Amino acid sequence: MTEMTRRTFVQLTAAAGVALGAPAVARRAHAAPDKNRVLFVSEESNPKAIAVYEKINADFEKETGIKVTMEYPGFANIAKRVATLIAAGTPPEIVWYGAGQAMNLALEDQLADVGDLVKALGIQDNQRMIYKGADRSIPTSQQFVYGWYRADLLKEKSLQVPKSWEDYLAVAKALTDAPKIYGCIVPSAETGASTLLLETMFMKNNVHWFDWNAGKKQYEVALDRGDNKKRAIETLDYLNELHKFSPEASNYNWGELMSTYVAEKAATSWYVGARLLEQVNANNARIADATMPFELPKKLTEHYYLSIQGFHILDKSNVEGAKKYVRFFMQHPDVISWYHAVPLHIIPASRDMLRSPKYQDHPVIQKRMDVLKFLDASWGKGVPLYYWDGKELNPHIGLYHNENLAGLMLAMRNIKGTKSDAVVDFAADQVRKKMRRTG
Amino acid sequence: MSTRNEQRLWIAGTTAPAILFLALVAYVPIGYAVVLSFMKKGAFASTATFSGLRNYYLIVEEPDLWSALWRSVVFTLGAVVLQVTFGLVAALLLNRAFRGRTIVRSFFILPYLLPAIVVALVFQWLLNQEYGVVNQILMESGVLTRPINFLGGLGTAMWSVIATSAWQYGSFATLLILARLQAINPKLYEAAKVSGAGPLRCFWDVTLPNLRTTLVLVALLRGIWMFNKFDTIWLLTRGGPLKATETLPVYAYRLGFEEFDFGMAAAACTVMFVVLLAGASLYFKFSDPTREVEVGR
Repeated sequence: MTEMTRRTFVQLTAAAGVALGAPAVARRAHAAPDKNRVLFVSEESNPKAIAVYEKINADFEKETGIKVTMEYPGFANIAKRVATLIAAGTPPEIVWYGAGQAMNLALEDQLADVGDLVKALGIQDNQRMIYKGADRSIPTSQQFVYGWYRADLLKEKSLQVPKSWEDYLAVAKALTDAPKIYGCIVPSAETGASTLLLETMFMKNNVHWFDWNAGKKQYEVALDRGDNKKRAIETLDYLNELHKFSPEASNYNWGELMSTYVAEKAATSWYVGARLLEQVNANNARIADATMPFELPKKLTEHYYLSIQGFHILDKSNVEGAKKYVRFFMQHPDVISWYHAVPLHIIPASRDMLRSPKYQDHPVIQKRMDVLKFLDASWGKGVPLYYWDGKELNPHIGLYHNENLAGLMLAMRNIKGTKSDAVVDFAADQVRKKMRRTG
Repeated sequence: MSTRNEQRLWIAGTTAPAILFLALVAYVPIGYAVVLSFMKKGAFASTATFSGLRNYYLIVEEPDLWSALWRSVVFTLGAVVLQVTFGLVAALLLNRAFRGRTIVRSFFILPYLLPAIVVALVFQWLLNQEYGVVNQILMESGVLTRPINFLGGLGTAMWSVIATSAWQYGSFATLLILARLQAINPKLYEAAKVSGAGPLRCFWDVTLPNLRTTLVLVALLRGIWMFNKFDTIWLLTRGGPLKATETLPVYAYRLGFEEFDFGMAAAACTVMFVVLLAGASLYFKFSDPTREVEVGR
C-alpha cells in the first residue's frame, strides 16, 4: 500500500477538523441570550427544595412562556460550575448561593444591577451587597454561626450554658473525658469549617483583617498592626487552649462537626445553621431533645459570621427574563415550602417571615420553637465578612477567605504548634502578597 | 483519481475521526492549558490578558510549588515501591498451584475495580481517629493507649495515603507480573534445578531477570499515574493537614478552584507536564520499550 507522509496526514486531519468545528465556533460567537430561556444554577439541592423549584418553574413557564432549566452542582462545586459556564461564553442567568461567593462575580463585573428588585422586595439595608454603587444580590435567606450543646450532659455536671470565653473553656474542660468524649470541637485544618470558626471568633474579639484608609479610599491589611494584632494573638491562643478539649480535628470539615457530635464523641459542637440538628434528628434521636443551641461566647462583641444567600443575575445573560423569574419566585405561595426544605437551617432573610405563622407552620419548627426563638434573639448581630472591616464592600476578603487562610492559621497554631504572633505575621504577609499578585 | 490518491484518501478518512477525537480530548486541552499559563485569567472573568512569564515567575517564587513537587516525588516513590512489592509477592503466590487459585486470583483484582470514592470512604472510616476500626483494634489489643490520627497527623497522613493507593493499585502490578511469570519458559527452572539451584537461587537467577523489564514497565506506568494522582489524595485529606499531602495536582487544583486563578493553575499543570515528559524521555532514552514486552526468552 502507498504510504502517506506525516505532513499530508496532518494537513488532511486539520482540514477535516476545521470543517467540522468552524460552524459550531461561528454559531457560538454570534449567540445572544435566548429571551425565552433561563438557566438557573442553585446551590440548594435538597430533594424537597428541588420539588418546589419544579412546581414554581412550571407555573412560571405557563404564565410567561419562559422555560427555566435547573442545574444543581452542590455546595462544593457551584463556583467551579459557574466559572466553567462563564469560560464557555454561556453564563447562566441566575445563580443562587452565598453573597460572599457571588462577590467574586461582582468583582469581575459579571453581576447585573438588581436595585429595582431589591427595592420592590423590601430587602433590609444590612443584607444588601453593593458594588460600584449598585445592588448585586437579592437576599432570600441567611445562616448564623452558632453552637450546639448537650443539655443532659451539662445538667449532669451542674454546668451553665457558657456566656464568656472563660465559661466556654471551663465547660469544655469539665465535659472532656478523652478519648471517650470531648468538650468541644475546634477544627484545625485548611477547611471551610476551621475558617469560619476563626473568622467568627475574630469577630467576637473585634479582630479585623483590614482597615479602611479614608484618605486613599481603600482597604489595607491590619491584622498584624497594633492592638488588632494583640487581639488576633489572644484569639488564637484561646482557641489553642480550647483545642486541648477537642479531638485533634486536623482534618475536620463540616461533616465531622456533625458526625462527631451525633456519634456522642463531643458534648458541644457548632455549625452554620441548624443542619446539625437535622442530622441529630435523623441519626440519633436519643440526644435530639437534649440538643440545644447557644451563641458562641463573646469577648468584645456579640457579632458572628453571617452567611446571606440569594439570587444573583449575570450581566451578559437574559437579565429581563431572570428578573421576572426572581420576582415570580419570591411572590409564589409555595416559596414557604422552599424555606421548609431543611427547617430552621436556611432561615428567611426577612424577620417578619421568620415570625409569621405561615413559616412556623411546620412540624419540626413547631417542635423546636426554642430554636426559632433563639434565632430571633440572635437576629441582627451577624455581619457578612465583606462588611466586617468597614462600611464599604471589602473586595479583598476572597484573598484569605476563599483559600481558607484562617483554617491554615488554626492548623499552624494547634497542630504544628507555631506561636500565635508568627501565625498572625504569616497570614498578614500572605494577604499582602496576594494583593500584590492580583494587582 | 489515481489508485494512490484513493488509498491516501481512504487512510485519511478512516483514521481522521480517531485522530480528531484524540486531538479534541487530549491535545487541544493540553495546548489550551499551555496557552492559558501565559495569561492572566481569573475564574470568573470572561476575558484573559496576555501576561508573558508572570505566572511562571510567581509560582516558581512560591515555596508551595517546590514543596508540592517534593511531596509528589515522595508520594510517587512510596506508592510505586509498595505497589510493585505487593504485586511481586502476590504474583509469586498466585503463580503457585493450589485449590481455588482462579477464585483467589479474581479477588485480587477487586480493589482495582473499585471507584476511588468508594476506596476513600472505606479508608476514611477504617482510619478514623475517633471510631475507626484500625484504632479500635489497636486500642483493644493494648498496642495503643490513645488513638492515632492516621489521616490528620502530620507524620502519618502521607503514609496513610500511600498505603491506600498501594492497596488499590497493587493489584494492577500483580496482574502484569503474574502474566509475565506464566510466560517464563519452565525449562529454565528445570535447567537451574539440574545445576543444583534452590528456590531462592531460582528466584534470583531465573525469575527476577525475566521479570526485570516488566517490573520497569510497571514502575514507569504506575509512576506516571501516581504522579498525576488527584482523586484519592483529595478525597482522603484534601492535601492536608497543613499541606502534608499537597502534591502537585492538588496544588494546581487549589490555585484554580480555591484561589480562582486559572492562569497560575495552568502554569502549575504545565510544570507538572514538563516533569513527566522529562521522566518519560529519560525512560525511552535508556530503555528499549519493545524489549520490555517480549516473552519466551
